[in-house]
Amino acid sequence: MEQFLEQLINALVLGGIYALIAVGYTMVYGIIELINFAHGEIFMLGAYLAFALVTVFGLPFWIAVPISMLLCAGIGMLMDLVAYRPLRNAPRLSALITAIGVSIGLQNLARIIWGAKQRPFPPESLPAFLRPGAPPTEPLPAFSLTETAIALPGGAYLPYRDLSIILLALFLMITLNRLVSLTKIGKAMRACAQDRVAANLMGINTNRVIVITFAIGSALGAVAGVMVGVKEIIEPTMGYYKGVAAFAAAVLGGIGNITGAMLGGLLIGFAEVFGAGYIPYGYGSGYRVAIAYIVMIAVIIIRPSGLFGKSTATRA
Amino acid sequence: MRDKLTPKNIIFFSIVFLFPLLMYGVDYITQLLSYRNIYLPTPSGDYILYIVVQVGLYTLLAVGLNIVCGFTGLLDLGYVGFYLVGGYTSGLLMTRLGFSYWIVLPLAVLNGALWGLLRGAPTLRLTGDYFAIVTFGFAELLFRIVKNEIWLIGDINGFVKNIPHITLFGIELKQNWHHYYHILILLTLVILVTYRLQHSRVGRAWVAIREDEQAAASMGINVSQYKSLAFAVSAAIGALGGAFLAPFGSLISAGSFQFWESILILCMVILGGKGSIKGSIIGAIILGSLSEILREILANFPQFAGARYLIFGVILILLMRYRPDGLIFKRT
Repeated sequence: MEQFLEQLINALVLGGIYALIAVGYTMVYGIIELINFAHGEIFMLGAYLAFALVTVFGLPFWIAVPISMLLCAGIGMLMDLVAYRPLRNAPRLSALITAIGVSIGLQNLARIIWGAKQRPFPPESLPAFLRPGAPPTEPLPAFSLTETAIALPGGAYLPYRDLSIILLALFLMITLNRLVSLTKIGKAMRACAQDRVAANLMGINTNRVIVITFAIGSALGAVAGVMVGVKEIIEPTMGYYKGVAAFAAAVLGGIGNITGAMLGGLLIGFAEVFGAGYIPYGYGSGYRVAIAYIVMIAVIIIRPSGLFGKSTATRA
Repeated sequence: MRDKLTPKNIIFFSIVFLFPLLMYGVDYITQLLSYRNIYLPTPSGDYILYIVVQVGLYTLLAVGLNIVCGFTGLLDLGYVGFYLVGGYTSGLLMTRLGFSYWIVLPLAVLNGALWGLLRGAPTLRLTGDYFAIVTFGFAELLFRIVKNEIWLIGDINGFVKNIPHITLFGIELKQNWHHYYHILILLTLVILVTYRLQHSRVGRAWVAIREDEQAAASMGINVSQYKSLAFAVSAAIGALGGAFLAPFGSLISAGSFQFWESILILCMVILGGKGSIKGSIIGAIILGSLSEILREILANFPQFAGARYLIFGVILILLMRYRPDGLIFKRT
């Protein structure tokens, strides 16, 4: 029971993080039908930029995170302007190869700047309630509060850190959902996703919409990066591993479908955490990363439109 | 490829054929000079020979990848998976069961073709980026398997150590010039086979599928059959490269078969121009040597170790932007 509750919390945290990244993949795919391989790298840069702002410039955490979001939004926009926009009318595989090139480039740039070492966010730079805390030595009554966690019935603890990640992810996804369904730019984004040429003819500046899509997706990715940094560690390859898992989430939810990506993210998070926890003989932990790949391959082969997507003609 | 005994061709083929002699000649001269206290700042000929063998191996892989990427026009992001299959087939059979390399080589090629068919079967319907993603996931899964299955591989992280040297008529082939002629023969065979395929009914069918799958099918081409054939041949060549790598390096590990290797090989194919054998060869020679030179230079600056791949990333972006059909050959 205790283990189950802890796994549940971990799954929710990981699922929330995947959902935030997956949204970035799915929004870009929805509009320009490009698998933005480099989105995982934006997520990694989000973590590293916040890390650099906190450690090198000594900014408080609360200021560093929004600045990192803004910087990542800028990088995302720049990426579209420099790398993808010139290829808008080229064959789709050219754009995909470019995306891979951008991804390798950014990942190794980060490796040159920050080194290949794995590192955590320095705990002293975090606000008190986000710090990792040792669980109390003697069991506490349910729902009593410690410095870093809430005691749950059954002897498990819900760290404030995990709680805030889950709540923030939820808040951001609801905001995004409202943004896409209620605002003018959201309407323009949906129009572009339906038919880019027609949207252009209706007077929508599609290039502007695409750039804004990149900016929003990148900012959300940056937040997810910081979350991973606070909860686990940061390293230059995190964008690659977590990025592919998040892409699997987007495929699972039906690529192009924002709500689908959110649910897909949660599902992949659950599959990974519970797979690693409950598959016997150590297979679960050794193949932790592979679970997302297997889900992704299975979905593409069996049901390419995903769980929640409309079935479309073959994507050429 | 028409046999023309022009002076240019004769010089070219004699250099290729006598290259080790040339390199050992350089070594001999350097040694003579060093007796007179003259030291040349050049790398040793033996080392250059070793690099050339590696470039030859990359060329082999690029020619193999070109079959799927260039001829049938499907983006394969997991080619390194077949390289891995070949490497572990030969590595494990040679170390565990003591098989001779000459038995292992065809077995590895067959095994590679089998894996190519296995991967090909569910992906026959897929096109474009979905095919690319499945191939990527496939290679990553194979990578995870050799990394985790210690009972099968025998060591952590997929290490197979102490792979014996190849023996031929009782001679151990362990000198770099042995490897040079070995890879030269393999490469010539592969290029001949690919060239003959390209200019046969099969090659024309592949190109027809690349240009328009539906039109090809309506002209009576059995699309799944020809695609499967392309997957199998391409995979077999990848496995051949792996089978050579195991005794050549005398050690393989999961780390030699990472995603970035696939991208490096893809980069070679694209640099030369997809669909052209000559292009793949030249692309592989340029990028293969560049990669080794950069590795040499960057060894002095450990913090810039990532710069090698950074440069490949930039090359990919620039190529797609300015020369999507390759630097060297323009497809008409």
